[in-house]
Amino acid sequence: MLPVATRIGMTLLCVLALPVASLSSAEPDSDAELAALRAAATKTYHDQVAPFIATYCTHCHGEKKKKGGVTFEYAVKNPGTSAFRELWHQAVTNVKSHDMPPDKEEKQPTAQERQMFVTWVAGMKHLSPKDPGEFVIRRLSKAEYGNTLHDLFNLDPQVASELPDEVFGAGYTNSLSPLLMEQYLMVANEVLDKVLAPAGSPPTPVQQQLFGAASHDGKDSQAAARPVVQTLARRAYRRPPSEAEIDVLMHVYSLATDKGKAYPEAMRLVLKAILVSPQFLFITPDAHPEAGHDIVALGDHQLAARLSYLVWATMPDAELSALADAGKLRDPAVLAAQARRLLADPRSRALFDGFGAQWLGLDKLAAKTFDAEKFPQMTPAMRTAMYDEARLLFTDIVRENRSVLTFIDCDYTYLNGPLAAIYGMGSSVSGPEMRKVKLSDANRGGILAMPGILAMSSFPNRTSPVNRGVWVLEQVLGEHVPPPPPNVPALEKQDQRKVANLTLRQRTELHRTDPVCANCHKILDPIGFGLENFDAIGRWRDKDDSGGPIDATGVLPGDKRFSTPKELKQILAARADDICRSLTSRMLAYALCRQLEGFDEIVLDQLVAAVAKDGYRMQTLVVSIVTSYPFTNRRINDLPGPSHAK
Amino acid sequence: MRNNWLIDRRTCLRGLGVALALPLLDTMGWADPPKGAATKLPVRLGFMYMPHGVIPERFWPTDAASYLTSPPQILESLRPVLSQCLVVKGISGIPIDPLGGAPHALELSTWLTATLPDTNKRNVVNIAISADQIAANYVGVFTSLPSLELATMPQTHKENQEGLNEAYYSHCSYRAPTQPVPAETNPRSVFKRLFQPRDQVQQGGRPADSAAAAEADALDHSMLDVVLDGAKDLRVTLNHSDQHKLDEYLDSIRSLERRIAALEIRRAQAAKSAAGDSGTKRGANDSAPITVTIPEGDKRSEYMQVMCDLNVLAFQTDVTRVSTYIGSTPNGVSYPELGFTDEHHSQTHHNNEPVKVDKVAKINAFNVAQFAYMIKKMHSLREGDGTLLDNCIMMWGSGLEDGNKHSRANLPFVLAGRGGGSLKTGRYLPNCSGNQGDLLGTLLTCAGIPVDRPIGLATKTITELTGS
Repeated sequence: MLPVATRIGMTLLCVLALPVASLSSAEPDSDAELAALRAAATKTYHDQVAPFIATYCTHCHGEKKKKGGVTFEYAVKNPGTSAFRELWHQAVTNVKSHDMPPDKEEKQPTAQERQMFVTWVAGMKHLSPKDPGEFVIRRLSKAEYGNTLHDLFNLDPQVASELPDEVFGAGYTNSLSPLLMEQYLMVANEVLDKVLAPAGSPPTPVQQQLFGAASHDGKDSQAAARPVVQTLARRAYRRPPSEAEIDVLMHVYSLATDKGKAYPEAMRLVLKAILVSPQFLFITPDAHPEAGHDIVALGDHQLAARLSYLVWATMPDAELSALADAGKLRDPAVLAAQARRLLADPRSRALFDGFGAQWLGLDKLAAKTFDAEKFPQMTPAMRTAMYDEARLLFTDIVRENRSVLTFIDCDYTYLNGPLAAIYGMGSSVSGPEMRKVKLSDANRGGILAMPGILAMSSFPNRTSPVNRGVWVLEQVLGEHVPPPPPNVPALEKQDQRKVANLTLRQRTELHRTDPVCANCHKILDPIGFGLENFDAIGRWRDKDDSGGPIDATGVLPGDKRFSTPKELKQILAARADDICRSLTSRMLAYALCRQLEGFDEIVLDQLVAAVAKDGYRMQTLVVSIVTSYPFTNRRINDLPGPSHAK
Repeated sequence: MRNNWLIDRRTCLRGLGVALALPLLDTMGWADPPKGAATKLPVRLGFMYMPHGVIPERFWPTDAASYLTSPPQILESLRPVLSQCLVVKGISGIPIDPLGGAPHALELSTWLTATLPDTNKRNVVNIAISADQIAANYVGVFTSLPSLELATMPQTHKENQEGLNEAYYSHCSYRAPTQPVPAETNPRSVFKRLFQPRDQVQQGGRPADSAAAAEADALDHSMLDVVLDGAKDLRVTLNHSDQHKLDEYLDSIRSLERRIAALEIRRAQAAKSAAGDSGTKRGANDSAPITVTIPEGDKRSEYMQVMCDLNVLAFQTDVTRVSTYIGSTPNGVSYPELGFTDEHHSQTHHNNEPVKVDKVAKINAFNVAQFAYMIKKMHSLREGDGTLLDNCIMMWGSGLEDGNKHSRANLPFVLAGRGGGSLKTGRYLPNCSGNQGDLLGTLLTCAGIPVDRPIGLATKTITELTGS
């Protein structure tokens, strides 16, 4: 176990030490340039990399032997697949540091061969053909479904509360089950009961609005109903229904009228049919894509829906729909302007609830366990305040179009009375409502020093410098931190008498004498220690639970020294490109509802460059994503595999 | 004390402490057996899961001889019903290479599939149909619900090990390789789903006017038919991947139609029964359906037990014959009832430190105790010439052997119930050899379900289980 763990640690170290290595100097933008880069990467793979792996690696890491659980068996067949990205990057680190092949092996690559391998992996993204990814018809999430019902019928979105909770974003489980279908029918019945009057009673106002005022009993019932059905379907399907789709609903209408049902009853059944139809439950494409293309642009209405569900988590409003109807939305300037308009609207809160809270881990704060005796402050109201503090900062950065670096360091926040007490500012802020507050202590301000976030990375009864370090590396800087190997020695294993008088920091540092742990922890721990002045719910302290003084000094790669949270924030904020890239890649994955793959890396390079050029502004980041190639296009057929090489 | 699962229950359990009453028509008993079949009682199949493995020294009985008289600490709660149980050692899990970095995503998702996810498309769900769903496909046609999936934690954990889709973390039932089946976490919804005719909602809680309800059901049924046809029209305009997604929709609509049809049949039976024709197949001596009470407190044991009760009731009333109950998911529940707040996972990497080992053993025992609660209840209910448990096969287990080492050589399993006479219980089998696919296939066979292809890596039947 030991050598593998050490090498994983080495990967991390090197990634950290070379934060800008992944950014190439010139960003290719023409398709021709991309094609040339791709051809070159593929050629190098066949001519040099594949033989390199076969000669030096597969002896121990191949089909038969999988030393340390590492094998190239699958990766060599499909080198460009994102599933193997980690493997390649790990391999580069080991090859570069001469950890691999091991010294005992006679065959050793030349310096030139090693360099070739390193260079190729750095440009590996170019193996991927230009590809926006699929945009498979997507079921509305629970929140989107509730909000859409709200917009259609002016109902409380809570009508959907019985649906199972789900996470949205990159790992979104876009599947439908019999259980869910039953629940959709149940909710449809509830909605109709709420919105429509019982049979024989005078219509409700919403009902009049939906079905028209007049009763259409009699001969022309079908003809009179059709335009009403058309209007209902247009709104609920978020696109103009085809004639065939209206025919289906008219067929439903006649099922009811054939049974002698009156107009409102028949329309009720039509509405129920709409609410369980795939066109309502899923975001479906506009029309047939033209034959003969593997990649097509999103139709106007599909694009409108994609944008609206991203920023508002609900259906497009009248303005967005009208632009889609007029065929204007695919104009990048119009699309960008709409994205800015949606961001400025209060409904853009959905972007925090759906994306921001997940990014910051705060979606789990309400349910997290805390030691109630030690932290009686963690009431539901306090948790809500902590969540709102982050939400309001996020909203402020979006609305005011500030730099994303504001997340790392700023001199204001949002507090109410109880939360101000956590900050030790209880005397200056009182009452339950949140408001903007200027911070005088430079150790505070920004997500790293925010109580809710500090609480999320803590154990129920104490801080975890390691968890905090991992959180900063992964969520803020976008590094990948490998999980600890099994059997990892834990703090509690230590001789309790010997450590009785040590601070948590001193105890944690003990495990860094073990080489298995040291490589990762020498990067993780300093960041966590730098935040040790904040206790498990984010209060400032000078002594830890042992009574010993907090030592918040540390050194990060590149001999960057700090002694306070303030200085740590400054060091981290200097890594603007990494922070921007981390946030952009997460939001891109969220926007696309999938994990990022090969070509997305190239898109990401371009997005980060564009956002950096505009002072890392938040609206620019969102608008760049919305107007990006993968957001506005979709692949409808498999592309010929470039990298399915033998 | 706030618990991890409380937040979700808080919204669910309004109107606490209320006993849920069965509507008359749902106390009917068996669905019709296939024509000509003897009135043999159906075998029901249940699975209950605990993550992160066990403390092996405190789980496995010392030997076969002492199994009944001095069970190990973790199995203590099963003591009164050990004669109804079969403890099986020697069942290996599927090797998880090349996904070795994702032990917890895989312990659950491989548990009933005995299959690894597709390593080349890790970011989407692509695994295999699970054993419970294979069973549901076969025996589900006899009941109004093909299968029941229960959990006590929302299936929303996000953690991206080895680039695998997050769904692998919280789902163990797969209706198709790409279609994870969500589980119900809200006892009230489960009850409603099992027993409440759908349209009672619009009757404002009053007993449904059965003729009106029947008409509404019939109309819904035809409406769904039309919608289904419309969806098929939509399907032909879509590309391949979209079609695949829409197939899940089509499947779900069909299943909904079948639910409605089953309701219609039940309603007809109820009418017959009311007219004096005893349509019920329930035996005169069978126990009355149990009462399910939604607990008032926020104790985890009570929450887990009300789900057990619902499972028992569903089997007892033959609403379904297949259930899967994820007692908790691998993303770290805590057990304040046991006197500590540590998350389950954090303690399993105990490195033999006694305090942590004790905590894990307590958590293991706690989970087994909830299973024991369910087994004892099934054993106490008369059915035909024996007990409900006699006609069940209940499997409790975990997807890891030892959470400290992530080992999978001897997955812990406790089987309970005689499976209609197909299992020989009251034994500890210390040297069973086989893998988890073999075990699942054997249990399905015992339940009378034809297994036409091996489940995952299965290669054989484990004949020791039947004692023949």
